[in-house]
Amino acid sequence: MSNWKHLSVSGGIIVLLILVPLIFTRTDILTFFFLTLLYITLSQSWNILGGYTGQINLGHAAFFGAGALAARYIWLHFGLPLPLAILGGGLAATIFAMIIGFPAFRLRGIYFVIGTLVLAEILRLVFYTILPRADVMPMRLLGAYSLIPRYYLSLLIALLTVAAVYWISRSRLGLGLMSIREDEDAAEASGVDTQRYKLLAFAISTFLTGLAGGIYAYYSAAFRAGGLFEPVWTFDAVIIVFVGGVGTILGPVIGSVFFVLLKQFLSLYLPGGIHVAVFGVLFIIVVLFLPGGLVELITRFRKRTSGGSIQIDS
Amino acid sequence: MILEVKNLLKAFGGLVAIRDLNLAVNEGEIVGLIGPNGSGKTTLFNLISGVLKPDKGEIRFNEIDITGLKPHKVCQGGIARTFQLTKPFMQMTTLQNVMIGRTYGSEPVRSMRQAEGECERILEFVGLGGKRLSLVATFGLVDRKRVEIARALATKPRLLLLDETMAGLNPSEMEDALRLVKAIGDSGITLIVVEHVMKVILDISSRLMVLNYGEIIAEGTPQEVVRDEKVVEAYLGE
Ligand SMILES: Nc1ncnc2c1ncn2[C@@H]1O[C@H](COP(=O)(O)OP(=O)(O)OP(=O)(O)O)[C@@H](O)[C@H]1O
Ligand SMILES: [Mg+2]
Repeated sequence: MSNWKHLSVSGGIIVLLILVPLIFTRTDILTFFFLTLLYITLSQSWNILGGYTGQINLGHAAFFGAGALAARYIWLHFGLPLPLAILGGGLAATIFAMIIGFPAFRLRGIYFVIGTLVLAEILRLVFYTILPRADVMPMRLLGAYSLIPRYYLSLLIALLTVAAVYWISRSRLGLGLMSIREDEDAAEASGVDTQRYKLLAFAISTFLTGLAGGIYAYYSAAFRAGGLFEPVWTFDAVIIVFVGGVGTILGPVIGSVFFVLLKQFLSLYLPGGIHVAVFGVLFIIVVLFLPGGLVELITRFRKRTSGGSIQIDS
Repeated sequence: MILEVKNLLKAFGGLVAIRDLNLAVNEGEIVGLIGPNGSGKTTLFNLISGVLKPDKGEIRFNEIDITGLKPHKVCQGGIARTFQLTKPFMQMTTLQNVMIGRTYGSEPVRSMRQAEGECERILEFVGLGGKRLSLVATFGLVDRKRVEIARALATKPRLLLLDETMAGLNPSEMEDALRLVKAIGDSGITLIVVEHVMKVILDISSRLMVLNYGEIIAEGTPQEVVRDEKVVEAYLGE
């Protein structure tokens, strides 16, 4: 596709997404769109670090949770304006990331994976203990609750995240991040400060995750703080990225739509929780037989039908 | 003097890989570095390029002390290298590989468009002009080595360390590689070349150094060195 065609297709989709609350008034449909957009942010932000930079973060929930909790406190309990709260959520997540990232990235390989996983688990336990009671929105807010502003905020952040990845993928920064994923020794030998760029990718990734958390804090009528740090937030993002197409822009987008649709569908016909097993199996199938994810499947199909050109960066 | 190494020492546990080594390289030279397997050639490259930190000694580049600098700093300062076991960025295109060198090396270019133009010329130079948009993972050994050399050149080095670029090539591929290395030398880049193939090393080197058990046991013009008794012994004694 040419740039112009790309642009008009993206523009068309954005216009349609802006019109969604006007077209669909049913709560369940609007919730579906809201969740899909939230998952796009959650998975795309994981993709920046995991897909492009090759650093597997198994504690994504820690940053989502930190963002959500910080935003909720700033907004509800300290009474500051919502935009400030959501930004605060993003910053809180980034600060956490730098504290863990600095020592973890000094050591290569598995340390980062384990460090992030352990961090999320510790935070989960800590917050279930120190904040055991559900955090419920006060009645005055619940009475006036509307999904529409939540939807638009979710759309805004999802667009921001996708645009950020689009920009990264064709910038000097993107080249540096990918070189780290491919071979750290060779990246260093080519002049890339690998420690610094890993931290930078981690900061960008967790800032966006924190924003997603902030939106969730605005959306959720009630939650238990520990629940924000549940591993499911991490693994949903990981599964979406791999099923959609790791290290691509479209992968997490397509993956999120597919994931939320399938989850809704499965929850209609299967007892609660079974969908996790289904996604686990799907994840394994994709990793084994379709490493490029759904994006690759689509590219292959289009190539066969139109004989179109191969695109390296979809 | 572009490179000066003084009293360099590196041990791995009890094994002394580089033993009190001194060497000097002048601007514009092509220095051949030979020695039996395990004599410390790659370790020396790792020390100069910052991958390893020496236990003792000093490395000066253009009169500046670069001992213990991180590899990316050394590269940005003007020393590039290739790896004995090639390490191209596999899941990236040839052009992207070279673009990384051009946008992060020494004299880096920030504009992607400008970098792209320059990188295309470098790819032509190493003979990869027609494969800019191919994934490196689809390449054979010869092209992977070319990608590595192109990436190193793209960092605009003053000094280039080539670690067994010719290993695994057939005679005609070796001819091509030889021409390429000479052309790099002609472009004004100082070279230290590690090779096992004697014919090659005698052909390109303006000066030869022989490493054995981490020490330089002989040094001089190729003709002088091959007649040296210690060298003959080191190779036959293997
Ligand atoms: N990272 C390391 N840890 C431990 N020992 C090492 C390490 N790197 C090299 N050595 C040892 O140091 C010695 C020198 O190795 P080096 O790779 O420098 O030799 P070389 O001259 O490049 O050999 P070759 O011709 O086989 O490439 C060898 O005995 C090797 O086993
Ligand atoms: Mg070696």
